[in-house]
Amino acid sequence: MTELVYSNSLMAAEGERAIQKLMDLVNSDEEFILAVEGAIATKNDGLFNIIGRWQGEPLTALKAAKMLGEKAMHIIAVGACATHGGFSAAKPNPSGSVGLQTILPDKKVIKLPGCPTHPDWFLGTLASLLMYGEIELDRRDRPLLFYSTTIHDRCPRRTYFNQGIFAKKLGEKTCLFKLGCRGPVTRTDCPTRQWDGYVNWPIGADTPCIGCAQFGFPDQMSPFISFDTTEES
Amino acid sequence: MEKIIVNPVTRISGFMEIEVHVENNVVVDAQTKGLLLRGFEQMLVGRSPFDAVYFTQRICGICSTAHAMASSLALEDALHIQVSEQGKYLRDILHGCEFLQNHIRHFYQYTVPDYVKLPTVHPLDNEHDDYRLPEKINKRISDNYFKSLKVSRLAHEMLSVLGGKAPHNHGIFVGGIAAAATTDKIIKMKSLLQEILVFINEQMLPDAYSIAEYYPDYFKMGNSFGNLLSFGVFNHYKELGTLYVDPLVFTVNKDGKGGIIKPFNQKNLTENIDYSWYKGAKNEYTPTEITTTPDMSNPKAYSWVKAPRYNNLPYEVGPLARLWLTGEYRNGLSAMDRTLARAIEAKKIAEILTILLDSLLPNIFVQEKYEAPQHAEGSGLIDTTRGALGHWLKIENKVISFYQIITPSAWDFSTRDTNYRGTAEEAVIGTKIRDMKQPVELGRILRSFDPCMSCATHVYSPGHETTTIRIL
Repeated sequence: MTELVYSNSLMAAEGERAIQKLMDLVNSDEEFILAVEGAIATKNDGLFNIIGRWQGEPLTALKAAKMLGEKAMHIIAVGACATHGGFSAAKPNPSGSVGLQTILPDKKVIKLPGCPTHPDWFLGTLASLLMYGEIELDRRDRPLLFYSTTIHDRCPRRTYFNQGIFAKKLGEKTCLFKLGCRGPVTRTDCPTRQWDGYVNWPIGADTPCIGCAQFGFPDQMSPFISFDTTEES
Repeated sequence: MEKIIVNPVTRISGFMEIEVHVENNVVVDAQTKGLLLRGFEQMLVGRSPFDAVYFTQRICGICSTAHAMASSLALEDALHIQVSEQGKYLRDILHGCEFLQNHIRHFYQYTVPDYVKLPTVHPLDNEHDDYRLPEKINKRISDNYFKSLKVSRLAHEMLSVLGGKAPHNHGIFVGGIAAAATTDKIIKMKSLLQEILVFINEQMLPDAYSIAEYYPDYFKMGNSFGNLLSFGVFNHYKELGTLYVDPLVFTVNKDGKGGIIKPFNQKNLTENIDYSWYKGAKNEYTPTEITTTPDMSNPKAYSWVKAPRYNNLPYEVGPLARLWLTGEYRNGLSAMDRTLARAIEAKKIAEILTILLDSLLPNIFVQEKYEAPQHAEGSGLIDTTRGALGHWLKIENKVISFYQIITPSAWDFSTRDTNYRGTAEEAVIGTKIRDMKQPVELGRILRSFDPCMSCATHVYSPGHETTTIRIL
C-alpha cells in the first residue's frame, strides 16, 4: 500500500544517491504524500538548514519543502516543530525557524502537533488518506479523530479537580492543575489512547501535562512545572 | 589528490557531512562537519530551572532520557539535594531503557544496512556491492532487521511504564523520578526486560559476531587516537557498589605504546574553538567559564562543532570506551570493535537493569516540593548511550542565567585543534577506499560511533564549505 521513498534516518542509500531518490520523485508524474518532521529554518534564505547535497550544491530544507510541497498530493506536518516551529522556534529562535504552513501558505497542511507526535496520530492520518482519500480536520487542520477533545475533559483525575483536591508535589495521585498541568487547554486523546504500547501517559506517571501538543508549545506552555502556584494565598 | 564529500550521511540521528581527501585510494585528511550552534543553551536563559529537565530532553528525540539525567543531576548539585538510593535505582532503570532502545535500533536499523543485503524495496535499497554474508546468514540478519523494531519498541514501553511516555519522558526529575514504583509496574518491566534480553542473547549478539566474522578487515579500520573517557554510569550505589563504570580516563602513553587509566577529574576539562565558528573571550575555556557566540569570520574554522578536550587531548567516548575502561572488552579499538561493544553492552545493560529491578522496593515516594534558589551553580556529568554527557548551569534570581552542554557526539565528532584532529576524523585517516564511487568505508566507520547529530541543520555561508550544525 505504501512505499517509503525518502527517510534520512532509515534509508540505506547515502550522499547524493539518497537525494537522487527525492529528485527522481519530483521529476516523475507519480503521486506522493509529503510528511515533514522538524521546523523550517528561514535565516539566510534557508541556508541554516540543509538536508544534503545535490549536484554539488547544498539543498536547503526550505527549498526542498517548497519544491515537494507544491507537487505533493497531501502534506502532513508531523510534530510541534513542523506544525508551528516548536522547540526549534523557542525564544530567542536562533535559526528563524517556522512551521511548514508558513512557507506553504496556500497549501492545505494537515497538522499533527505533539512533542513527539503519537505514532497512531501519524499512522492513523496516513492510513485515512490512503484508504479514504481524506481525514476530517478541525479549524486548525488537526484530525478530529485524535485532537477533538481536551485532556481535561477526559482526565481520570477530573473528580479531584472538581473537588479542589490538588497535588503539591510531582508523584501525587490527585489533580496536577496547580503544578501547571496544561490538560485544560491541550486537545489530544492521550488519556484514552496512552503511549508506547498503550501502557502509560504523563499524567499516569503522576506529572502534569505540559501541553506539548498545543500550538504555542513550548513558550506559551512554560513554565512546565510550577511549585509556586500551590502556595496558599 | 581527490576529494569525497558525503552529505547526507544517512542512518544517523540528524544530519552530517564528511569531507575527505584521498591519495592513491587512501584517506589522508578528513573533516567531520557537524552542528553545534548551541541554540538550546541560549533558549534556556531566563527560564525556570525546573523546566531544564523537560526542556533539554527536546535537544533530541533519540537521547532525551540522557539529557533528563544530566539536567536533573545538575539541578540536584545546584540545590544541594541528596537523592535516595531508591530514587537513584528508579532513575537509572529509566535511563537504561534508553540504552537498550538506542543500541538495538542503532545496530539493526543504522548499522546492519551497511553490511547486510536487505530486501530491495524503498527505503532499504542500496547500490554498493560490498555485501559478503552467505545467503543463509544474510537472511537471518535481514529478518531480524524487522523483528528488532518490535523489540526496541518494548524498551520504550518499559521506559513508559514509569516515565509516562518515550521519548521525552516525564518520569526522570530532581530527586529520582516522579512516580512511585508499584508491584504491578515492577513485574511489568521485568517481563518486558526478559523479552528484550532473550532477543539480545539469541539474535543481536550472534548477528553482530556474524558480521564481524565476514568483515574482518574492519577490525583494522577506524582506529582513532586510543584515548578513552567516561563520566561513569550505573555506579556509586551505596549497597550495590558500581555495576558498570566509574568516571575514568585511559590515556595512551606519549610513545604510543600502552597507556594508563586514571580517575576522571573535571578540572582537566576544556572546550576549544580554534577551528569552530565561534568567538569568545578566549578560545579555550572550562565549561562554566564563558559561553561563545557564533562567528564565521575565522578563516581556519570549518564547523559548528567545538572541540572538547581533556588535558588538551581528544578522547573517544561510548560503549567501547566504557567496556575497555572496565576491562570487559579489550580486543581492539577499531570500527568493528565499536559495533561489537555496542551489542555486548546491550546485554550488560539488560543485566544491570535486572539487578536494579530486583533491588526496587514498592511504593517508595521520592518527590519533594522544590524551591529555586536566588543564586546557585551545578554540574551534571554522566555517561549516556553514546558516551560522556555534561550539563552545567547557573541560577540567578531564581531563573537560569547560564547553561552549557557538552554532548558525547561533540567528543567523538569534534573539530581539530592546533595539535590533533577530532576523534572521528582521526578514525578515517589511512582508510583504503576500494571504490571511489561507493565509499562505503566512510559511512561504516562513522556509524560505528553512533553519531547523534539530531536537531541538526546545515549552515552555509559564502566562502565557507557546507557544514552541519546541531542546534542545541
